Amino acid sequence: MKNLLTRSTLNRVAGVTGAIVVVYLFVLPLRESTTNSTLFTLTLMLTSVALSINWNLTGGFTGYVDFGHAVWFGIGAYVTAILMSEQSSLLPQQWPLVPSIIIGALVAALVANLVGRMTLRLSGPYFSIAMLGFFVFMREVVRVSRPLTNGGVGLTIEPTINRPLWFYVQLVLVLVLIAFSWWLRSTRFGASLIAIREDETGAEMRGINTVRTKVTIFSFSAFSTGVFGGMWAYQNTFVDPDIAFWEIRTIDAIMGTMLGGLGTVIGPVLGMTVLFWLREILWENFLDFHLIVQGFMLGAIVLYLPKGIVGLFADDSPLMQRIRGSKQTSAFDGMSSTLDDINQASEAVNSVEAGESNEDVTI
Amino acid sequence: MSTFLQALVNGISTGGMLTLMVLGFSIIWGVMGVINFAHGEFIMLGAYMAWYANKEWDIEPLVSAIPIFFIMFIVGFILQKVLVNRVINRPHLVSLLVMFSVSIVIANAVKLIFDADFRRVQSDIQRGFWEVGGGVTVPRKGTVVLIVALIVLVALQTFLTKSRLGKSIRAAAQNREAAQIVGIDIKWVYAFTFALCIGLTAVAGALTSPIIPIFPFMGAPWTLRAFVITALSGLGSVKGAFGGAMALGLIESLVATYTPGGIGSNMGVIVAFGLLVVTLVTRPQGLFGGLRPIDATKG
Repeated sequence: MKNLLTRSTLNRVAGVTGAIVVVYLFVLPLRESTTNSTLFTLTLMLTSVALSINWNLTGGFTGYVDFGHAVWFGIGAYVTAILMSEQSSLLPQQWPLVPSIIIGALVAALVANLVGRMTLRLSGPYFSIAMLGFFVFMREVVRVSRPLTNGGVGLTIEPTINRPLWFYVQLVLVLVLIAFSWWLRSTRFGASLIAIREDETGAEMRGINTVRTKVTIFSFSAFSTGVFGGMWAYQNTFVDPDIAFWEIRTIDAIMGTMLGGLGTVIGPVLGMTVLFWLREILWENFLDFHLIVQGFMLGAIVLYLPKGIVGLFADDSPLMQRIRGSKQTSAFDGMSSTLDDINQASEAVNSVEAGESNEDVTI
Repeated sequence: MSTFLQALVNGISTGGMLTLMVLGFSIIWGVMGVINFAHGEFIMLGAYMAWYANKEWDIEPLVSAIPIFFIMFIVGFILQKVLVNRVINRPHLVSLLVMFSVSIVIANAVKLIFDADFRRVQSDIQRGFWEVGGGVTVPRKGTVVLIVALIVLVALQTFLTKSRLGKSIRAAAQNREAAQIVGIDIKWVYAFTFALCIGLTAVAGALTSPIIPIFPFMGAPWTLRAFVITALSGLGSVKGAFGGAMALGLIESLVATYTPGGIGSNMGVIVAFGLLVVTLVTRPQGLFGGLRPIDATKG
């Protein structure tokens, strides 16, 4: 009983649950009852999860909140579509799929590198707004570059889609991304990212090349989102400026990461998955209200759950302290009365502290 | 030549509209440090109220703007007390996201009540043109907005520099702790500022309702323009807001006039946001200097 909620037990439970989910997802397409539309929904979910993970690399680890992350998705999608579609009058050749996606992602990374060099010097809300501005800027640029992008009409790609294959590809890529961001936390580079978030000037004085570090992670996150953009364009078989550069993708990535836990490895995955299914349920049950409910949810998450779902299970969370506090008291049962008194006092202190931190969370 | 003059007139007219629209956003950011992501939604609410008053009781937006100001003043006061007060001292991301959730709720609630159809107000005062000669026409609807904008500008500047409450607001913007030490009731100042700005923003929406199409999701582009202008002009600067709004209005109008191929308005957006990024990177404190001395490159 005593060890019910220790860190290692919690980690073990999380690991086993994760493994079961992964195995289930791998087996799912083999089942007869699984339809292609279910697989497509799941593929879209994996795309959202990937975007959350990528957003979290800059937004969570480095602390640079990108309000235009969907721009990398759009660039990846559009470059892939331009290369693969015959409707682009400047580039009517139809390229094969894999090089198109890779070039699309590389273009996204290159643009991110150039833009990041300028905008990553800005701090706080200024960076967010500059990136939001860049997002709107790119959408209009794509809309007016008619010879290349076919303007607002959009581009069509010939559909030859194997849904189970794409589901597996994206599933593996998402798992690789999770492993990557987990590994990143243990490297020196990952530590520099956190250092920049906590104290940028201090990090710089300790010899971290902050600009290069920020630009590198920013470009990587753009590359990875660009890959998913390209894959989405191919599976959707159609892009136009408004659906390729869709601001909801940024909002989802931020909301999912906030819900799961900003700056944690598993937070974006957990949060985005919960958000995705929550929205499906809302969509089915309250069609008219579902966006209103979502708006209230976002506000509630930000105000009352600032560390996300993962934060609930952290050692210093009020919830965990309360549970462990009562456990400790039961472990000391039968000791001398002096110890009991001390215990009662510390329990009182604990509950006061817990209450206080509770208030901190709500206000 | 007359094309150029016409573009100039249109630019000034748009600039007047933008001035009225941006003031509330700029002052809230400058005084409270809160980026009002729901700014465009308050413009939308003002426009819908004016449209409803016009449709049901045949009231001119110029008249209904006055009750709309007071209604939205109260709404803003309550919203500040209930919600915004909780996020003032939190990181920027928190206030941004909370205001963003407010914008989602407002826009979708309005959509639920009034549908997503486009509306436009038929105003008798704000209709038609004055011929100036040389083929240049001055639109009446824009001129009315410009005149109101100038009146509001002068009144606001006088209020902020001369009255006791206005001075308290500026003090709170410059140094919160020091303002509290000298006995300024910071909570009241914040609540009043927010209420005033929401009221002004709704008035901007009401007066521009004969000019711009009204629909539940019209807000976002106006919030973004408010960002651009505030970044250009400096946080909470009343004169700067005028300068920035005029600059953006003229740029959008000139670019739209001289871009061939029917993509003028898209080019206007491109130039506006290109300008935003360039200004933020090269001169983050804004072109005019605002209420709050902020260096965007430092936290």
